[in-house]
Amino acid sequence: MLATAPLLAARGVSKSFFGNPVLRDVSIALQPGRVHALLGENGAGKSTLINLLSGALRPDGGAIEVDGRPVSRMTPAYAQQAGIAVVQQELSLTASLSIAENIGLGAYPRRFGLLDYPELAVRARAACDLVGLDEPLSMPVGHLSLGRRQMVEIAKALYRRPRVLILDEPTSSLSATETKVLTNLLERLRGERIAILYISHRLNEVMALCQHVTVLKDGTCTADRSLEGTDANELVRLMVGRDPGDLFPRWQASALAANAISVRNFSAGLMRDVDLDVRTGEVLGIGGLVGQGQEDLLLGLYGAIPARTASATVNGALGLPGGVPKANALGLAYVPADRKREGLHLIHSIITNMMLPAFARLPALKLRSRRAERETARGLAAQLGIKGDLGRPAQALSGGNQQKVALAKWMPHHPLALLLNDPTRGVDVETKREIYMMLRNFAAAGKAVVLLSSDTPELVHLCDRVAVVREGQIVAMLERGALSEEAIVSAAMGAEHQKVAA
Amino acid sequence: MGGRRTLTILRSRPFLTLAIVAAVWIAASFVSRGFGAYGHLRYLVELAAVIGLVAAGQTFVVIAGGIDLSVAAIVTVSAVSLPLLSWQADPTGLTAVLAVLALTTTIGLVNGLGVALLRVHPMIMTLAMATFLQGLLIIIAGGSAVTAENPLVRWLGNARPAGIPAGVLLWVAVSVIVLAAMHATSFGARLFAIGANPLAATLSGVPVASTTLAVYAISGFTSGLAGVLVLGMNGQGYVGIGDPYLLASIAAVVLGGTSILGGLGTYAGTIPGAILLVTITALITVVNASPGWRSILFGSLILGLLLLSGREQARR
Repeated sequence: MLATAPLLAARGVSKSFFGNPVLRDVSIALQPGRVHALLGENGAGKSTLINLLSGALRPDGGAIEVDGRPVSRMTPAYAQQAGIAVVQQELSLTASLSIAENIGLGAYPRRFGLLDYPELAVRARAACDLVGLDEPLSMPVGHLSLGRRQMVEIAKALYRRPRVLILDEPTSSLSATETKVLTNLLERLRGERIAILYISHRLNEVMALCQHVTVLKDGTCTADRSLEGTDANELVRLMVGRDPGDLFPRWQASALAANAISVRNFSAGLMRDVDLDVRTGEVLGIGGLVGQGQEDLLLGLYGAIPARTASATVNGALGLPGGVPKANALGLAYVPADRKREGLHLIHSIITNMMLPAFARLPALKLRSRRAERETARGLAAQLGIKGDLGRPAQALSGGNQQKVALAKWMPHHPLALLLNDPTRGVDVETKREIYMMLRNFAAAGKAVVLLSSDTPELVHLCDRVAVVREGQIVAMLERGALSEEAIVSAAMGAEHQKVAA
Repeated sequence: MGGRRTLTILRSRPFLTLAIVAAVWIAASFVSRGFGAYGHLRYLVELAAVIGLVAAGQTFVVIAGGIDLSVAAIVTVSAVSLPLLSWQADPTGLTAVLAVLALTTTIGLVNGLGVALLRVHPMIMTLAMATFLQGLLIIIAGGSAVTAENPLVRWLGNARPAGIPAGVLLWVAVSVIVLAAMHATSFGARLFAIGANPLAATLSGVPVASTTLAVYAISGFTSGLAGVLVLGMNGQGYVGIGDPYLLASIAAVVLGGTSILGGLGTYAGTIPGAILLVTITALITVVNASPGWRSILFGSLILGLLLLSGREQARR
């Protein structure tokens, strides 16, 4: 192993933005035939390191090496030539182009100077087969679910026949099956002596898949070692810099309580004729493969998309809320999955973001009090541990802190029921723990929490009950005693169905 | 704290635009005798008042993420229909003015209905509205000019209480109300939210449809007000009287630093923006070129100024 030169390496690289050091003297070496994990909390410098390796950014100090030779001017074009492919966390696909066109974008095969569609189709098909994408190649990417788009993104990287593959949180939007396909694929690529850099917040995945790990904390490297003989707690300690303790708060049964939300024959979007009761004082999990209608369930209850129901009670009022303002008035609050697109106003200040629900429900011509707004925002920031100047635009915050703002803005209105859509996606361990704590406390205060999550351990350890959704139906309602990752996954994939048939 | 605040103001776009206006005025008064005279500058601000009124509604619309291409047609509707209304019953002429303002506000409301409820793109909706109104005006008024005999309108266009033109006083009053509505009410805060990210605004409970309706109605109202003023200053209304105010209103908004993409900006920038536009026009007139060259010069200067005063950064 030592004899071969790494395909791609960074030697003592440093980088600062506006005088803030983001990386200090970090080294990493990607060897052929090895899956290398890169761990670190949000803001630890992982994305910056990837950008240096792929030539998107130039280091302030240190060097990037390809095949053991330092590259004086690393550019994205050079990186592509050298066979380095990056699957970004922020999807870079064009929604209106087809799957094949997206996969080939920038590297279309040409014939007589024109785009060679038949050749593109053949090569795109091959890339799709590798990741298990069976949708027609001509389908616009905009029609795909987030998870399938992620697979297109990976196929796009494979289409370029990379020698080095960098994956930035590839599984954060994938279902269990898609994750399995990806894991098998990476095993195979490893056999083909491709060097893989794998960034993930899911430690069990990392433990199962990777051979080597580099841990970043506050821009410095705290570990660069083989994963053999390392346990997950130790990794967390290296990332956080202290003992991990338990990620999930201790579960306590809440006193049996009334129904906060109750619907019969509820239909919205993909959901068809669903009955559901959400009790006060509980965290109700919504699980299942990605894109089975779970989001429509939340949006329908929230009045954001049209919904029909035979009968409904929401916090004591009859009938579904006919729109978001009405839902807010009934004490519902919704935290969306895509915080950049749906949750926040990135160009506006953190204060304005936190105050928006207040602006939405105050009388239109009511005069604002900037002082009161500042005070409320300061209180929320202190409560949730958001540091720094609150006058900064929200885009200056890390992903975890953005999520906190998206949650915090509802708190002054004391919602009776929280509808959360994958609130911990792409969020670092420390913030996750804080969010879990908040949700449990919220439930303990006699309110209802509906938690849609793609993170199965979260459903198992945090929820009182879990409703598993498949093809627009709730196929299983698992009580606390029956909760396990196996139970959720098998219900999600229809495994118990086969058992009956057998 | 005070020093930092001063610095923020000095660096802001409204201040920058104001500084450019001052620089142009000073430079021009050296080059051309009489440009810097009080009477001439007062006249420029009076002309700017019309643009400023049209651009007030436009600023609301643009901040909320839309655009109103029907403002010129609405100015014309106001200036042409007002003389047709009889004012004999009310010696002040106020009733007729209010009736016309109600009419233009309704036109704006229809724009808003199309954008908010029928989800027609604002460009299409307001352009269609403009075309519709132009046709209607030709049928009603034909090619002839109509003279305004309404006392209130005449007063607005010609009176100078305390030496300040009534139109400028009207503009000042409207500016105060507009700035307060934009920056000191929750309605104003909703505008910015809708313009920056309509989806996130909806999910945060912002009543997007009613806010959008209000915004286009306001634009109809201020365009109507501008029509009343231009009629008073001109004495006559005719089809085409509002035409210069479409590009002018959008240019004033953008010159003042309001993002054409929505979500960022202030009317405080549009005010010097309007004055700057009028100043440029006056300068071009001084140059004494043919109308063709004047237009070319005007277009190039606006483009140059926009490049100078900072293009927008790409938004992710």
